[in-house]
Amino acid sequence: MDKLIADEILVKQFQTGSQRAFDELMKRYERKIFGYLLRSVRNYEDAEELTLEVFFKAYRALSSWEPKAKFSTWLYTIASNLSIDYHRSKARHPVYVLEDEEVLETRLVANDLSSNPEKHVEDMERGRIIREAVDELSSKQKEVFMLTRYEGLPIREVAETLGMAEGTVKIHLHRAMKKLQTLLRPLMENNEI
Amino acid sequence: MAKCNISEAHAIDYVYGELDPSKMDDYKVHLMTCNTCTRRVNSYKRVLQLVDDAEGVYAHNLSMPKSLQTKLYQRIAAEKTVKPTIHSNLAAQVSNLLSLIYQQKATVFSLFIVAVIGITFLVTDPFQYVSTYKENVTDSAHLKIQEYRHQEIQRNMEDVLRNQHLRNSNKWDRVSQLNRVKDQAHGTDWANVAHQHLKSVHSEL
Repeated sequence: MDKLIADEILVKQFQTGSQRAFDELMKRYERKIFGYLLRSVRNYEDAEELTLEVFFKAYRALSSWEPKAKFSTWLYTIASNLSIDYHRSKARHPVYVLEDEEVLETRLVANDLSSNPEKHVEDMERGRIIREAVDELSSKQKEVFMLTRYEGLPIREVAETLGMAEGTVKIHLHRAMKKLQTLLRPLMENNEI
Repeated sequence: MAKCNISEAHAIDYVYGELDPSKMDDYKVHLMTCNTCTRRVNSYKRVLQLVDDAEGVYAHNLSMPKSLQTKLYQRIAAEKTVKPTIHSNLAAQVSNLLSLIYQQKATVFSLFIVAVIGITFLVTDPFQYVSTYKENVTDSAHLKIQEYRHQEIQRNMEDVLRNQHLRNSNKWDRVSQLNRVKDQAHGTDWANVAHQHLKSVHSEL
């Protein structure tokens, strides 16, 4: 299907019965939504389950959807709400998974280990420390940071997605940046782990 | 070194590309001369670079879960085979209603306030002046009137009885006096007393 077709037109086509239109929308966003949820929940299986849930909810609600906001914003709103529910549920019923991060790393496509295995291990360790710093952010700070930085959403769309005022989004972003600066200062000073 | 008055937020907005375009050129010029702001900008750029390196692994080297689309359609098909029950329908309606209320919080709140004010006007007259002092005074005045009325009836009854004993008055006079007292005492215990006396006088006639 033509990639130039706007999401909203595909939604219209789906609303008039075109299943292929939904397939195209899913193809466009499954990687982004999965990446966003994986960064948020840090667990491969849970991120997969939540991604499925996002598209399931979208499929059910799309027939009555009206383009008040961009389709992508709406999709991220569903994902963000599910992520918040997930973290709430985890806070109520904590499940301690051993070395979840390591399990996740094994799922990443292997880099060229033979060229410099030591550097690879170092990079992995540095990545772990940085991701832990990101996870130290409050849930709102993290959501705002992730949506702006990795989903490329402008402040206005993040505000729509999270149901906040633009000023509030900026405040969360500033706090997130300052906190990351503080947490990562040792790494920046040493430039090594 | 001169103290810089420009907020740290400018540095973050600049690094993020969110600085107001009208301020961008001025800030770039400012960065050429301000070490404090330059250090801030470089520090935030480094933060983003570090996080990008770490998080980028997720975006670029990530293997996507397999058959996501197939799993989705399997789930949709599974749901379609489940017949909705009365309870599930009711739960869905309530859920939709709550969702609508949640989405239209401001409207619902305004309607609620208007409804409360409307009901208040219907049930009561909120502007009516209510004086408890006046009510108390009125109540006590009524009690006094009742008290005086009883006293007067009692006096009249005593007159009738006194006349009967002292002057041995005409029985027909007594009948008429007792009838007057009875009329006067209508609705009180004195009416019964007068009635009893009337009966005894009639029996003597």
